[in-house]
Amino acid sequence: MAILNVNPTRMALLGLKKKLKSAQRGHKLLKDKQDGLMQKFMEIIREARRMREEVEGKLGAAFKNFIRAGSLMSEEFVEGALLYSTAKTKLAVETKNVMSVRIPKFKLETEGDVITYGYLQTSGELDMSLQSFQDVFPLLIELAEIEKSAEALADELEKTRRRVNALEYRMIPDLQDTIRFIQMKLGEMERGSIINTMVVKAKIEAQA
Amino acid sequence: MNQYKMAIIGPRETILGFKALGLEPVYATDPKEAVERLYSLKRERTEVDGESINKYAIVFIMEDLARGVTPDDYKKLSAEPLPAIIPLPSHLGTTGYGLQKLKTIVEKAVGMDILS
Repeated sequence: MAILNVNPTRMALLGLKKKLKSAQRGHKLLKDKQDGLMQKFMEIIREARRMREEVEGKLGAAFKNFIRAGSLMSEEFVEGALLYSTAKTKLAVETKNVMSVRIPKFKLETEGDVITYGYLQTSGELDMSLQSFQDVFPLLIELAEIEKSAEALADELEKTRRRVNALEYRMIPDLQDTIRFIQMKLGEMERGSIINTMVVKAKIEAQA
Repeated sequence: MNQYKMAIIGPRETILGFKALGLEPVYATDPKEAVERLYSLKRERTEVDGESINKYAIVFIMEDLARGVTPDDYKKLSAEPLPAIIPLPSHLGTTGYGLQKLKTIVEKAVGMDILS
């Protein structure tokens, strides 16, 4: 416990009392924010884990198909086939504000076909693999959204927790100690001056 | 609402398929190269209504490359809301990196791992 470096005066006491009040208020607000963030985070993190497991399974299968297609056809053919894909993806992004954390919301817009090549020179595996890629794709976007949100929330949670702890275990006790110290000091000075007057009075009376 | 693009970083033969879906393929074979590419993707901006915004909203990266990104670099790269950097398992199957990342996120937020 430390006593802040201030002069033990009535002025300083008033200032410190004001400071203590705002620190306590800030602490309460931050604590509420922390609770809110934690609630949101819990909702998201379980979802994120489930999504990731799902995506990893599906994507693995899609990749296997693709590699198989690649092994059946020469690389130039694969690339040539994919060169003229008319698929266009656009990603619209909105940001949502959750407890002052900016969370992205992705919205996928796709147009055009993925399979725009002749069937003659390409293998069926390529079609299948592209189809599976296309199926996984919306999931990937969702995963991106959720993971980014979780990350942003975790960052903010950590910061908030630090602030709450700094206020709770450092700033508020320090302020309280200092206020007590100044009050005691002022009381002591008051008693000192009363004794002084009493001594002076007694001396005057003794002379008279 | 703004329109963004997506990119994927990985070795040529793995990410070719994503090109067909309309993602921007960015080839990289080793983590160092991948980090450089990540930085340059992050820097790229476009003008929309006189406002400069990130060009890419999501950057997918192969897990084995993402492993080589140091925490320092990762912190710098993911400081802003966009782009989101998402590791994906490659054709070799999942290495558990993605789940590991989730775990560190949880530990950071809660103080302990509550997922397992």
